[in-house]
Amino acid sequence: MRQSLWLSLLFLLTSALSLGITYYVAKSAQQSAIEESLIQDMAGFQATPSASALAVLVRAQTSESDPKKRLLSYRLPNGRVIAGNSAVTQQEAGFRLVVLGPEPTPVQGPFLLLSRHIHGGLMTVAESADPLEKLQETFLRVFLFSLLPAIAIAVLGGVLLARRSARRLTELEQVLARLTTGDLTARASTPVGATDDLNRISTSVNRMAEAQENSMMALKQVSADIAHDLKSPIQRVSVHAERLQAIPGLPAEAKEIAAKTLAETKGIDQTFQSLLQIAQIEGGSPAARFQTVDLADTARTIAEIYEPAAEEEGRRLQLDLPEGPVFVRGDKTLIGQLLANLLENALRHTPRGSDIHLSLLGGRQPQLILRDHGSGIPQKEQVNVLRRLYRLERSRSTPGSGLGLSLVQAIADLHRADLTLRTVEPGLEVQVSFPKADV
Amino acid sequence: MKILVVEDDKTTGPYVAAGLREEGHTVDLLANGREGLVQAAAADYDVLVLDRMLPDLDGLSLIKTLRGAGNRTPAIMLTAVSGVNDRIEGLEAGADDYLVKPFAFGELSARVAALARRPGLQQQETRLCVGDLEMDLVQHKVTRAGQEIPLLPREFTLLEHLLRRKGRVQTRTMLLEAVWDITFDPQTNVVETHISRLRAKVDRPFDNELIETVRGAGYRIAVA
Repeated sequence: MRQSLWLSLLFLLTSALSLGITYYVAKSAQQSAIEESLIQDMAGFQATPSASALAVLVRAQTSESDPKKRLLSYRLPNGRVIAGNSAVTQQEAGFRLVVLGPEPTPVQGPFLLLSRHIHGGLMTVAESADPLEKLQETFLRVFLFSLLPAIAIAVLGGVLLARRSARRLTELEQVLARLTTGDLTARASTPVGATDDLNRISTSVNRMAEAQENSMMALKQVSADIAHDLKSPIQRVSVHAERLQAIPGLPAEAKEIAAKTLAETKGIDQTFQSLLQIAQIEGGSPAARFQTVDLADTARTIAEIYEPAAEEEGRRLQLDLPEGPVFVRGDKTLIGQLLANLLENALRHTPRGSDIHLSLLGGRQPQLILRDHGSGIPQKEQVNVLRRLYRLERSRSTPGSGLGLSLVQAIADLHRADLTLRTVEPGLEVQVSFPKADV
Repeated sequence: MKILVVEDDKTTGPYVAAGLREEGHTVDLLANGREGLVQAAAADYDVLVLDRMLPDLDGLSLIKTLRGAGNRTPAIMLTAVSGVNDRIEGLEAGADDYLVKPFAFGELSARVAALARRPGLQQQETRLCVGDLEMDLVQHKVTRAGQEIPLLPREFTLLEHLLRRKGRVQTRTMLLEAVWDITFDPQTNVVETHISRLRAKVDRPFDNELIETVRGAGYRIAVA
């Protein structure tokens, strides 16, 4: 908007300047034309052989001249005008022309004047500078009737264009916001025939979104294919193991082997499942289904699910939640899973009987904090534990896939939440800080 | 019950069909999506068991087409695809339940039974009874042999869920979904700990156990 006003002002200035120059040039040309004609007239007068001949010529020309346009005067040194239709008098301010006639009147309007001493008298020729005045008037009219409307149109057009650009920028911003939150079907409008910068950017954004959508679809397809090709055989193994278990009179040892086989297939499936899920979450597609989630309610439910399991190990699961709801935008199932993974980690990697503390801070940037009283994670390992399939040396003997925290990290990233691990004496504190709520 | 199984895997399909037949159901097994659609629309089934990935016509399109034609036969979708939104997609397409591979037969069997007898337009009950156990749904009170048993709200919900489906197995994942609205699979056996707490209050002080464990499947309250 401001830019368009500046442009309009610049347009106005250049137009006025060029009109001014044109006027100046035209005026000079006109003026020199008048001067030229005066000089030629004078040359004619100078060519006369004597004062009387000049007087005859002047009288002849005077009778043909309109005193409003052309004035002539031939004056003797004593001041007597012997021929012409006007008299030049010298006054303090300069020369003055007086039109002679029944009643001498001062000359009206501007005149250009040339005087020469010829044959002892002063010959003066003057021509009206009226055309110069007319020229000025014409230029003023040109300015009023053509330039002013043009400027008005320019300003108005600029403002409208600026408005339209602003609207399209807002639209583009909205499209980008939708794309970053996982809605890959969002597209910017590209009006047919428009070739401006915004249109080019919109086209590029659309092309990018399309590529992203395609690769997302491809990833989904590949995940589905892998899932199908790997899960079907896993399913078959578990079918075989189940059938084996069901054979009547099977020795106890064989039954146990079948049960172990089933447990292993479940383990394979869970690892595989987590990997697929992390890939999908990192692809960003679940963000498209974000809803308003009450963190307090989710934390309460998940804590309640694990509370008896904690109690069985002689632990206390302490809850510190705000009274009211704490809303964030997100996927309820995934946030629940994040909490479940953190709680399971705490249950698995800390000694029996140690307490676990889950708290939620409300406010503009909600924060989930889970604190255990185990031995924490060594400083130099804190980056590693977020890596996929990574397991601490001392944890190799406990069950788990090594994907729990990677999944937590992926879910936190999807929600634009910060995940931080901190060893506090004693124990580990995990913080999940959600971004400022938009609403 | 009359059940249609559409599953193209040559091991899983026959196994599921055989297992359901063993339980006394009449089962038709098909391995092709298009044939499955024709069959499901033509005959009157009690439950449909559909694989999601099928030759010719996938399970999602099959159920969508069927629902579009006004067929409301309860359907459970079996799938290898178990991403974050896949379950929602399956349910939105018109499936009533969604079971991720690999699954134990017990899980499928329990879910098929649950689908066939969904508590739909059931009469509003005010009390549920089994043996000497009574649950008053209006006053939120549970008594056994005339003795009041104090229960936490979620324990009440869990017991109510089992009582309403007495005689039918409820698997751990079914209970997680119904009582806590949890659709992911916790790696710790959390349901077991809740059941044992409930048992400590409802069963342990008394002579006989009402809450049974069904090996490899889940839990059930006996009919009487």
